[in-house]
Amino acid sequence: MQAVIEQPGAVDDAVEAAAARAELEPADIGRVIRPSKTLTAVERVGVYQGMYLLRMVEALEGDYPAVAHFLGDEEFADLVTRYVAAHPSSSYTFNRLGRQFPEFIRASRGVRRKAFVADLAHLELAVTEVFDAPESPAWPADEIARLPQDAWERAVLKPIAAFRLGAYAYPVNAYLQSVKDENHDHPDAGRKATCVAIWRKRYEVWRLDLSKPAYDFLGALANGRPFGKAVASAARRLQGGAGDQLFRWLRDWVAEGMFEGFEAA
Amino acid sequence: MRNRWGLPDLGIGVGLRTVHYSHILEAKPEVDFFEVLSENYLDTGGRPLWVLDQVAARYPIVLHGVSLNIGSADPLDREHLSKLKALAARTRAHWVSDHLCWTGVAGRNTHDLLPVPLTEEALRHVAARVKTVSDILERPLVLENASTYAEFTSSSMPEWEFFGRLMEDADCGMLLDVNNVYVSSFNHGFDPEAYIDAIDPSRVAQYHLAGHTNKGTHIIDTHNDHVIDAVWRLYRRSVARTGNVSTLLEWDADIPAFGVVHAEALKALAHRRPEKAVAAAAS
Repeated sequence: MQAVIEQPGAVDDAVEAAAARAELEPADIGRVIRPSKTLTAVERVGVYQGMYLLRMVEALEGDYPAVAHFLGDEEFADLVTRYVAAHPSSSYTFNRLGRQFPEFIRASRGVRRKAFVADLAHLELAVTEVFDAPESPAWPADEIARLPQDAWERAVLKPIAAFRLGAYAYPVNAYLQSVKDENHDHPDAGRKATCVAIWRKRYEVWRLDLSKPAYDFLGALANGRPFGKAVASAARRLQGGAGDQLFRWLRDWVAEGMFEGFEAA
Repeated sequence: MRNRWGLPDLGIGVGLRTVHYSHILEAKPEVDFFEVLSENYLDTGGRPLWVLDQVAARYPIVLHGVSLNIGSADPLDREHLSKLKALAARTRAHWVSDHLCWTGVAGRNTHDLLPVPLTEEALRHVAARVKTVSDILERPLVLENASTYAEFTSSSMPEWEFFGRLMEDADCGMLLDVNNVYVSSFNHGFDPEAYIDAIDPSRVAQYHLAGHTNKGTHIIDTHNDHVIDAVWRLYRRSVARTGNVSTLLEWDADIPAFGVVHAEALKALAHRRPEKAVAAAAS
């Protein structure tokens, strides 16, 4: 029964699929499923089979609204059909269904503007991960000033669990925002390197476009590089006034609640 | 009549749904209890869980699952059960329910409530698994009759007999979904009153009510509309046997404003025994 339910298309085609025939020949379905007064045995299985993919599409549309919007209903449903055939749900929760979706898109053939769509999916996956991550208390902004001067050099900052960084080849954050705003005049999806921080503050997910130097500096801090080394590395890439710029970034990121604290390395 | 575990009559509840979060937190409507879809809160530490904590601090909670997969040949998912137990403790849930169904085999989840063959073999299999789940959760499991659209030729007994024997063998409770009885009776051509009359009233821990979609040839349990009169009549018939039992309205598609959902649920007061209806009206 499951082998038929998981097949795409009309139920008459689904019962003929190889995976379904491996379990039961179409002619034998009537030996397993009783017909009703109004439906044949195959039609009764078709009630379940017809709802399976709709449910999968609906679940992934919830996690990937911008990808769904970009591709349109038909192309998105086709992509989901191929995805769940390769990665059927194996969990009690739908939350895990879409985890391999971005990589699947990147490896798939026939997806329109594939590189853009894969980047967009990566960003939307990060948003979902941040939405569901465990809650961890943010480092109070005023504690920066209390950190002893001699502790900064070796301090290792710890990001909150609900924090992700992404580097993309396309302006996917701008596109995602235009979808959320229901703005039909979407930004140009042409190639343009972009960087985004995604984090949660007071149970809401926030996204911040970053310059490449800011992304590199935040990435170094979030990945556990000691503060002194991260600053030295970032300062080398910035022109004059690097110290002030780095301090302003750090102050803003801490104020935004991206870190939960620090450890002395 | 009280159910055999002394589970309380919580009154008339509604399902906790995302679209109503803000209204519930801000308006704090007078609702007897909320039913929570367990799986929506097992793998998140974000806003849904935060909202649930606020709701559980103010209202009685019952947990209702869709992925226990109790009828499957696959092993029980211990991770799922462990998280479910923790969620029940966190929300001080009055009970935990799921469905008599299977959702997948071979490690897969179709996320649908698929029908169980109503056979002696399946009965032994499901009863053993219900006992295991009850032991892990350290509370009696409550199982709902699902709407079904297909029947196995191997079935050797009606669903009400299967349920009755299962509840005896595994000492579990029943979440009697009156709409599902109606839907399945239409789809399979049995008498819904015979189903209602056959259920041991002392085993009924909760009722579900919902709307459905009649396709002419069959009915789909869509939870997207008002409860039809025939289902209300079945509910009244059942309540006459069980006494007042916690009753919940499900509305999961085309969900209207919270007030519309709650008002539909409160129609149940007219069909319950007078003492609770009078008390509720007075409050």
